[in-house]
Amino acid sequence: MRLFVADLRKLVRRPASWVTLVLLLALLALILVVLVAAARTSTEPQAALGARQFVTFPGAYELVLTLILGIGGLLAVTYGAAIGGSEWGWGTLKAAVARGESRSRYTLLNFASVAVFTWLGLLAAFVLGVVGAAVGGLILGVPPGGITDPEGLRRLPELLGRAGLALAMNAAFGYAVATVARSQLAGIAVGVGLFFAEGIAGLFLPDVFQWFPFSASSAVTSPLSGGGVGAGGGGAGAVVTQLDQNTAIVVVCVWLVVAIVVAAAFTERAEIGG
Amino acid sequence: MTTGSGVALATQGLAKRYGSRVALDGLDLRVPEGVVYGFLGPNGAGKTTTMRILTGLVRADAGQVELLGRPFGRRDRRRLFDVGALIESPAFYPFLSGRENLRALAATGAPVSRARIDELLTLVNLRDRAGDRVSGYSLGMKQRLGIAAALLSDPRLLLLDEPANGLDPAGIVGMRDTLRALAAAGKTVFVSSHILSEVQQLVDVVGIIARGRLVREGPVSELLREAGAIRVRVAPDEVAAAAEVLLPVAGTGSVAPVSGPEAGWLTVRIDPTRGAEVNRVLADVGIYASRLETGTTLEGLFLELTGSRPDVAADAGSPGSSAPAASSTGWQS
Repeated sequence: MRLFVADLRKLVRRPASWVTLVLLLALLALILVVLVAAARTSTEPQAALGARQFVTFPGAYELVLTLILGIGGLLAVTYGAAIGGSEWGWGTLKAAVARGESRSRYTLLNFASVAVFTWLGLLAAFVLGVVGAAVGGLILGVPPGGITDPEGLRRLPELLGRAGLALAMNAAFGYAVATVARSQLAGIAVGVGLFFAEGIAGLFLPDVFQWFPFSASSAVTSPLSGGGVGAGGGGAGAVVTQLDQNTAIVVVCVWLVVAIVVAAAFTERAEIGG
Repeated sequence: MTTGSGVALATQGLAKRYGSRVALDGLDLRVPEGVVYGFLGPNGAGKTTTMRILTGLVRADAGQVELLGRPFGRRDRRRLFDVGALIESPAFYPFLSGRENLRALAATGAPVSRARIDELLTLVNLRDRAGDRVSGYSLGMKQRLGIAAALLSDPRLLLLDEPANGLDPAGIVGMRDTLRALAAAGKTVFVSSHILSEVQQLVDVVGIIARGRLVREGPVSELLREAGAIRVRVAPDEVAAAAEVLLPVAGTGSVAPVSGPEAGWLTVRIDPTRGAEVNRVLADVGIYASRLETGTTLEGLFLELTGSRPDVAADAGSPGSSAPAASSTGWQS
């Protein structure tokens, strides 16, 4: 427990935590502004309708989360890679192991703290997204009544849980890549590269790549699952085949476990040098 | 608490290869309890690899390690709760302060009290800067913090790789006093260093390795005595005659005239306490030495044993030095 608490304390003080959060909130705010502006100025009824969906509750809850998963997925990969890789680059893992700490325990708790922060980032972004969507709705003259829709509110914990798992999986993926690469820079570069590569490959082989981590994570909350607009991976906004929400969450959990096991197993077996 | 065997650390047949490069080739070490042990060797001799194996960072290909009287293997990580280590450069989170770094490290391995952290910050004279981010620390300050980190769990065995790196003279004296005090308290300090004059003042026992094997191990005073020599300065045209006269005294192969810029010097491999005898033998045949120097340094011994220099004989007899008493200087900068 003391190691987990120490890990959380480290992440609070770590600039990467705050930079990632600010970036997520700024990008989300920018997208909402663009959507509202597009809805107001677009001459195409279809585009305007699409934009208005993002500010119409209760459906906006899911769409905001899908939007967050799109931006946040990439940021979670880089965040996970930054934290996982720095343990090798700075030699802090070496210092812990030399004190007799269990390698896999250290890795698992370190990642657990990353997952907690990813979750907190998701909550902060969701609050901003909902407020932004509500304000956008007011600007566009959409009645805000749906925001208190009982059915919409009832589903919120489940949606946040799904989104949290998806973001944690993305962070775990970055963490595992950086651990195997033993470098935060290499982890970030490879993680981001895979994120976009999967998105692009998914355009050509959607039936195959829907099972891959980033595509699956974008489908866990998407109301358009089963075929529609994918917000995750490098093919954001492209028309792709998506898993249904329930299958997607199972696939995400499998990838999450695989990533964590790979990171822990690699750390357990690795020879730790300078 | 002692190990019973009186040995804090021992290795037997320790071997490690990195690809085709042999890092350790059957290393046998025996470090008695309660001493400061100097672990010496040229670059690439296998010192850091040994340290890494002793702390479980890398695995040996062959051989056994015994830590604090018991075998140490893959599943014995808890044995390291009684071991403190500073391997290569000190490792810290640059965005945390010195105190926060120690707290973060204290959350791993054996439990450590907060009071202990403040105590160590005071010991290494970092109390005033304990709240500053480590990214703003100098190399010497990071090194001090690294030593504090190694001491966190009040270890019975301390493994330090080049602990004097980046320390200023006062810091080196402070570190020496601290390590001597730890040994006096019954703890064992295993230290590698390239600053041989510093090691000579600090250690009780020395182990010298070259190409992954131990080439000499023993109490430093004993090794220096065994490896002692007398350097004799005579007129250059009397060197041959002096060598001939000294040969029966020192034995075959023990007298080496020095050529080159130091011509006129002879190195006589003989117990340094026999200086007067050497002088008398020369005087008896009418050769009067203008200078006579006795003893050797750890540096001379090191260079000779590791073959780090081709012209070992020419340097083996530099003036000896006795270790000054440890001062009570602190870690002031």
